Amino acid sequence: MLGWEYPPHIAGGLGVACEGLTKALARVGLDITFVVPCLMGGESAPHMTLRDPSGVMSKSKRKQRIKKVKIPSALTPYVDDKSFDDLLAAFKYDPDKTSSLLRSSLFPRLNRAEFEKFLASISLTKRAEKLLGAGYGSNVFEQVALYTEKVLELVAEEEFDVIHAHDWMTYPAGVAISKFTGAPLVVHVHSLEYDRSGKTVNTRIHAIEALGIHTASAVCAVSYYTRSIVHQQHHIPLNKVFAVHNGILSKKIKHYPKRMEKWPGKVVLFLGRVTYQKGPDCFVRAAAKVVPYVSDVLFVMAGTGDQLPRMKKLANELGISQNFYFPGFVKGKDLEEALSVADLYIMPSVSEPFGLSALEAVDFDTPALISKQSGAAEVLNHALKFDFWDVDRLADLMINGLIHEEMRTDIIWGAKEELKKLRWDAAAAKVYKIYNLVAVKN
Amino acid sequence: MPSVCLYFQVHQPFRVRKFAYADSCSQLNYFDDLKNKTVCQKVAQKCYLPTNALMLELIKRFAGQFKVAYSISGLAIEQFRLYCPEVINSFRELASTGYVEFIAETYYHSLSSLYDEQEFIAQIDKQVGLMEELFGQRPRTFRNTELIYDDRIGNIVAGLGFRAMITEGADSILQGRSPNYTYRHPNNNMRLLLKNYGYSDDIAFRFSNRAWQHYPLSAEKFASWLHSSNANDQCINLFMDYETFGEHQWDVTGIFDFLNQFPQSILANQQWNFATPDELICWYPGQETISFPHTVSWADLDRDLSAWQGNRMQNKALDNIYALGQHIKATQNDHLLDVWRKLQTSDHFYYMSTKSLSDGAVHAYFSPYESPYDAFIYYMNLLHDFAQQCQRYPTQTSCSTNQLVIEKEYITELNSEEPIPSSNYERFSVNETITEIPLPGNK
Repeated sequence: MLGWEYPPHIAGGLGVACEGLTKALARVGLDITFVVPCLMGGESAPHMTLRDPSGVMSKSKRKQRIKKVKIPSALTPYVDDKSFDDLLAAFKYDPDKTSSLLRSSLFPRLNRAEFEKFLASISLTKRAEKLLGAGYGSNVFEQVALYTEKVLELVAEEEFDVIHAHDWMTYPAGVAISKFTGAPLVVHVHSLEYDRSGKTVNTRIHAIEALGIHTASAVCAVSYYTRSIVHQQHHIPLNKVFAVHNGILSKKIKHYPKRMEKWPGKVVLFLGRVTYQKGPDCFVRAAAKVVPYVSDVLFVMAGTGDQLPRMKKLANELGISQNFYFPGFVKGKDLEEALSVADLYIMPSVSEPFGLSALEAVDFDTPALISKQSGAAEVLNHALKFDFWDVDRLADLMINGLIHEEMRTDIIWGAKEELKKLRWDAAAAKVYKIYNLVAVKN
Repeated sequence: MPSVCLYFQVHQPFRVRKFAYADSCSQLNYFDDLKNKTVCQKVAQKCYLPTNALMLELIKRFAGQFKVAYSISGLAIEQFRLYCPEVINSFRELASTGYVEFIAETYYHSLSSLYDEQEFIAQIDKQVGLMEELFGQRPRTFRNTELIYDDRIGNIVAGLGFRAMITEGADSILQGRSPNYTYRHPNNNMRLLLKNYGYSDDIAFRFSNRAWQHYPLSAEKFASWLHSSNANDQCINLFMDYETFGEHQWDVTGIFDFLNQFPQSILANQQWNFATPDELICWYPGQETISFPHTVSWADLDRDLSAWQGNRMQNKALDNIYALGQHIKATQNDHLLDVWRKLQTSDHFYYMSTKSLSDGAVHAYFSPYESPYDAFIYYMNLLHDFAQQCQRYPTQTSCSTNQLVIEKEYITELNSEEPIPSSNYERFSVNETITEIPLPGNK
């Protein structure tokens, strides 16, 4: 299995999902090797083999880590002796040599021209670097290319029944290993470039996603919603894409009182990046339609993003800035307090593959109002739902959510029961079936 | 000689429109006329008209041996008048055969029996008048909304002069006794007919279920089950929604063929016949009493009130609508009274049920809304507007207080189980003693 991060060192929900899924798959009895770009220390994964291909991310650590890679005792059927010797040589890191080695001898199933093209497609040109935006590191393509090469070196040691790659950064590696070893590829779509950037899709990332999704024997999507987006964006038949809803790992949380001393009234919370895709505009405009009916309400927009200044200005223009609070990015204790205090949690995303935060709000006894364009809307029946563009409807739901305590209580009670059923074991059972399907096929 | 007693419920609610909080004071119509018209006409085409035609044919074919009973809510009649008057004509045709009994209920298919006795009685009164006007029959049997029943409700209904009442043969009440007998209320002379939910649900719910071990169900097979039942049984009471035919079970499931074959399959055994509820209690005036200390209904697997009072939202909505009653009656405004009563229909609260993860599939099937929360929100938005509207009308206090006192005395009288002088409540027949009369021959 190929991933880009693993707890506790995580930038987003991807690492958390990988932890939940692998733990549950291990309970099914699968033997998993999980490769991340770089282990940072502190990871705990006794249920599987967690490894990194000798420090892709950090040049300083690379040579030292190379020594720790175990020399394989058996060869995969696709590598001859000579190639293996070459491979060993390649461990003494030399990027040029490694690349040429991979290009020449280690790819019996991939012709040279194809692989050249493949690597070129994911490595970064100066021009593309300048065009990159949307919060990615400037060298992300380089890292992806490097990860791909190093993972390839690593897998010469082992045999796999299935290659499972999580999100686009690992798709090139997944595709390469699949071609190299002949093992079937399953790609897992946690989010698409379409969901992350909306109007400004990075075409190279989109192309890499297309490569992975089209090469894969099967595709897992984190919701039926994402499944349909995969189908629309990449034009592949729906019968190849399976919806596998994420599970929830129960964790210990600290509850804070529902009311703040500073603000005795009601609190409505928006949490997340303040970008077009998260729908902050709808939130602010709906808030303006709530205030005339429920005056003692505070709207909290927690997070940062390119739309934040515009949202502050909009609240001002609509004459509701006294009902708004912009604390910026919150985490840790502040995050738990915000979720506890809130009477309603609003997720008006334009496109949300899953939306774990809405489920987490339930843990804090806060009912969720979520857009229908989200995966969470599929698993959470006990929530108030609206179309992300429907400002009037969101306002109506917020008004009712605020004035009817009975409804809030009913929603929370039902949602908590639902969350109990949202287990990673259910997700693993589905993934296991998909493995069997593709392993038989190949 | 055991009898099969068929009783069908006909009802259509006035569904409310998707009313936003901000729509307040907009003078919008509360009811979703287009939706109500569409549903009513659809169900008329799929169920009411074809089933009535078949019933008429069966009654004629079996010349007095096949009989049925209906309860048609006042709101269903109102919608037939508006959207498909031919349905009323077809029921009148059935009534004219003389083999159809019309049963009374609350005109507004409401839960008033649980909240407002005075209102409950008024709604029954209105319904009885309607049945008499349309079908020339004064109902002698009563069924409460969704078969909601307990001893207290039985006392009120008996006090109104009804000879029999229909309710659910709930296990929690029967505790091993059979639903296939006529029983008597413990404190008065009213007889109780209990739904045999096993056989009834075979037709109403399981008929087209391919996973059911007895699928497909033929009339012959069903009749053979009944024929082989306990020889001492007096009646098998098959009570269900009329929409079972053609709407819940579509034409393609073969439900109409089943119904077509049903009378002859039952009558193939000459020991068996058909009876209407009123005939049943004449033939078998059961002396055994049965007490309902807690309230039952025919809804969901729980067969209690949880389909309408199962969560906080439902209880809030119910409390709020009935809280308006005193003021609205005091305004003596017919329009307000009519809207208030239409908002009491049990369906509004049924849509708000959040039992949606288990048997809530049934709730979802009937609901015009996406979720129970939507149902609650639209209803409460509308109620908020309605309450404001009501406040704008002055109350005629002196008159209403007087009326209230009279009604209260009347109810006290009912509870004391004294016979009621007919002059006091002339719409209803006097509580007559049921004398055993010989069974009509079917030999």
